[in-house]
Amino acid sequence: MSKRNSFASLHPAVLFAYFAAVIGCSMFFTHPLFQALSLLGAFSYSVLVKGRTGWVFNTLYMLPVLLLMAIWNPLFNHQGVTILFYLDSGNPVTLESVLYGASAAVMFVTVILWFSCVNAVMTSDKIIYLFGRVLPAFSLLFSMVLRFVPRYADKAREISLAQKGIGRDVSQGSWLQRAKNGMRILSILTTWALENAIETADSMKSRGYGLPGRTSFSLFRLDRRDAAMLGGMAILMAIVLTGAALGMNAMRFFPSIRTAEPSVFRTAALVAYLLFCLLPVILTIQEERRWKRIESSI
Amino acid sequence: MEAYRIEHLSFSYPDQPSRVLDDISLSIRHGEFVTLCGKSGSGKSTLLRHLKSGLTPHGAREGDICYEGMTLAHVEPRRQAAEIGYVLQNPDNQIVTDKVWHELAFGLESLGFDTPTIRLRVAEMASFFGIQDWFHHKVGALSGGQKQMLNLASVMAMQPSVLVLDEPTAMLDPIAAVEFLETLKRINRDLGTTVVLSEHRLEEVLDRSDRLVVLGRGRIIADGPPRSVGDTLYRLDHPMCLAMPAAMQIGKALQPEGGCLLTVNEGRQRVSQAARGHVRPGAPVPGRRSDPERTPKTALQLREVWYRYAKTAPDVVKDLSLDVLEGEWYSIVGGNGTGKTTALTLMAGVRKPYRGKIMHAEVSRPMALLPQNPQQLFVRKSVELELREMRAATGATKAEQERRISEVVELAELGAVLGRHPYDLSGGEQQRAALAKLLLLEPRLLLLDEPTKGLDAFFKTKLAAILKKLNDKGITIVMVSHDLEFCASHADRCGLFFDGGIVTARETRNFFAGNRFYTTSANRMARHLYPQAITIEDVIKQCRPG
Repeated sequence: MSKRNSFASLHPAVLFAYFAAVIGCSMFFTHPLFQALSLLGAFSYSVLVKGRTGWVFNTLYMLPVLLLMAIWNPLFNHQGVTILFYLDSGNPVTLESVLYGASAAVMFVTVILWFSCVNAVMTSDKIIYLFGRVLPAFSLLFSMVLRFVPRYADKAREISLAQKGIGRDVSQGSWLQRAKNGMRILSILTTWALENAIETADSMKSRGYGLPGRTSFSLFRLDRRDAAMLGGMAILMAIVLTGAALGMNAMRFFPSIRTAEPSVFRTAALVAYLLFCLLPVILTIQEERRWKRIESSI
Repeated sequence: MEAYRIEHLSFSYPDQPSRVLDDISLSIRHGEFVTLCGKSGSGKSTLLRHLKSGLTPHGAREGDICYEGMTLAHVEPRRQAAEIGYVLQNPDNQIVTDKVWHELAFGLESLGFDTPTIRLRVAEMASFFGIQDWFHHKVGALSGGQKQMLNLASVMAMQPSVLVLDEPTAMLDPIAAVEFLETLKRINRDLGTTVVLSEHRLEEVLDRSDRLVVLGRGRIIADGPPRSVGDTLYRLDHPMCLAMPAAMQIGKALQPEGGCLLTVNEGRQRVSQAARGHVRPGAPVPGRRSDPERTPKTALQLREVWYRYAKTAPDVVKDLSLDVLEGEWYSIVGGNGTGKTTALTLMAGVRKPYRGKIMHAEVSRPMALLPQNPQQLFVRKSVELELREMRAATGATKAEQERRISEVVELAELGAVLGRHPYDLSGGEQQRAALAKLLLLEPRLLLLDEPTKGLDAFFKTKLAAILKKLNDKGITIVMVSHDLEFCASHADRCGLFFDGGIVTARETRNFFAGNRFYTTSANRMARHLYPQAITIEDVIKQCRPG
């Protein structure tokens, strides 16, 4: 398990709504200020959730991707009116295409970072729960897959160890030999799986599987905190989306760069978006501080 | 009224002339704890499967089965699912989902309960079974005992009135098995749930049972309270007597007319009684097979061996030193999860220690490891192909190979099952087929991991005879086992494995005589008078006059 954080303890539906909204916004808002806010939120939360590995992932993989994409675009995209210089091929490099590349790169990296947060926060049981609401059969299927895939992997390892115990090292030899051994293990694994599946089916049948009217149980409960969080998120989103509807969150790149004029409402939308993107971080830090206070008062 | 009434039930599988069940009549009262025993293949599982329609095998059937006064086939599936709980032998195969809490809820989901009801029932069960500590765990991370406990709990969550269990402890180690049976008794005692159980660990289960039913070749041989069933078996001089608890065997041998005994304590008193007239306490026991002339050449030597699975993982084998002499039968006993199996794989060279040395006397002659689950060795469609495919490994000529195969087939008594798929064999036959496969390598050193797990008394005797033969031929045997009775009767030396290393290793008799708790039940009955008597035969011999 990753480190405890209070955002991840929210109800899966709230988490799902949050990530859907924030990733959607990150994909469609092209205004640099909005992009920067989303990147800030994604970056800080991914580091908070994943700790050191978060830092490593973000700097070692995401930074090069960012730079590469930013350089890549102007080499092939020659639209725009502000020409910076000409390439050897005679094609112009324009300011607009450089900025567009940078913007696309930031968007790409931000979305990847948000997905890495999704990955860390949305554990299998939360995903099962969410899909189970829509399709009860799916939730069981998913749960069974999660049970059986690791089990088969373990079994394959055991079989290959047992073969080693009778002097048959299946990890050695020419690639042909290894492939043959692999096939043999796969074949016996299939037999084993089918054989044991009969008993699993018996156990399911004996516990009433297949009777009409199956329900789907979960440990999650939508409590007042979840409801409040959902309400808060809805208000923030409403402000941000109104801004979007008025065209304040986007930027026009071609042929020339244009954004909406600064206004009070745009500032409101920006502040709302800032709060929205930093919501996971704020919640987590808030709880941490509460704990510090509780501990220091003991 | 009875929970079950079975009248003249006969059954045979399709295309098989012999009847698996032959005219069985049995009635089970509410709240009874019924234990079913009999040799493997006596029809126990088939009979139990007839107690729930969904699990009943296909075949030709005669006779009636009534549940609560109603023909079972007419009891609606929903009621059967809820009221008749069924636990099977293999703990792993019965678990369907990936999380403990989900597994507990599985049956209730099927029955269509709403979330608050399931929440309550799951909470109740987790508390009753002491599952709260691992409630959120993945099922893959549980031990075998925990898995079987989970299976029982998830059946109990549906609040059945009858529990049917088919050898539920066969795959468990002794401590987990006793814990499981104790929980079962508690369910029976505190909730009034009827329990029908097939079991071969009679030692632990008989004094918990109200009733014992002995099956043989599909017929009921004896039926009644365990003690009177014991009397019947002894009167018939039935082979099942050998499967009875040590207390009963010793008690009957010392005083054939006396009542049947079930517990160690009762056995102990009878041994004291019998000793009073005949033998003075502390008389020496005739020595076991041990010839001091034999040159103690070591076959296998481990020097300060350390092993762990990953760099950051804890050490599993710690500072393990051990000498196995040529031609010796060495047993390693000890609790679960102490690293015994890992130590065995180190000896086999399957895993490499990160520190320490492992030395073999003869490098050229191979050794062979029989894993805990013999199925892991099978890769072909029939036992015969299984044996033939070993030729590639041994590099023997065809004629030589044929000779060897016929030799091991005879030794392991596999003649009748050569054409069958290895997975279709019974546990005991699988064990012997796997052993035969190993023997084709002509090993000098046999490493056995829990060879008696899940075997009934008869298959154990058979296996012991085979191993004895091999041992007499000079093959060294190193065996990891939980089965103290088996080790006491057959091993030359025993080592106690604890916390990654051998704590003490001694000649078998001294080993068990020196332990107070970790010893055979026969020894516990007689140790106050004859500390050196460790098997049932020893005790009987000691107490007999003359």
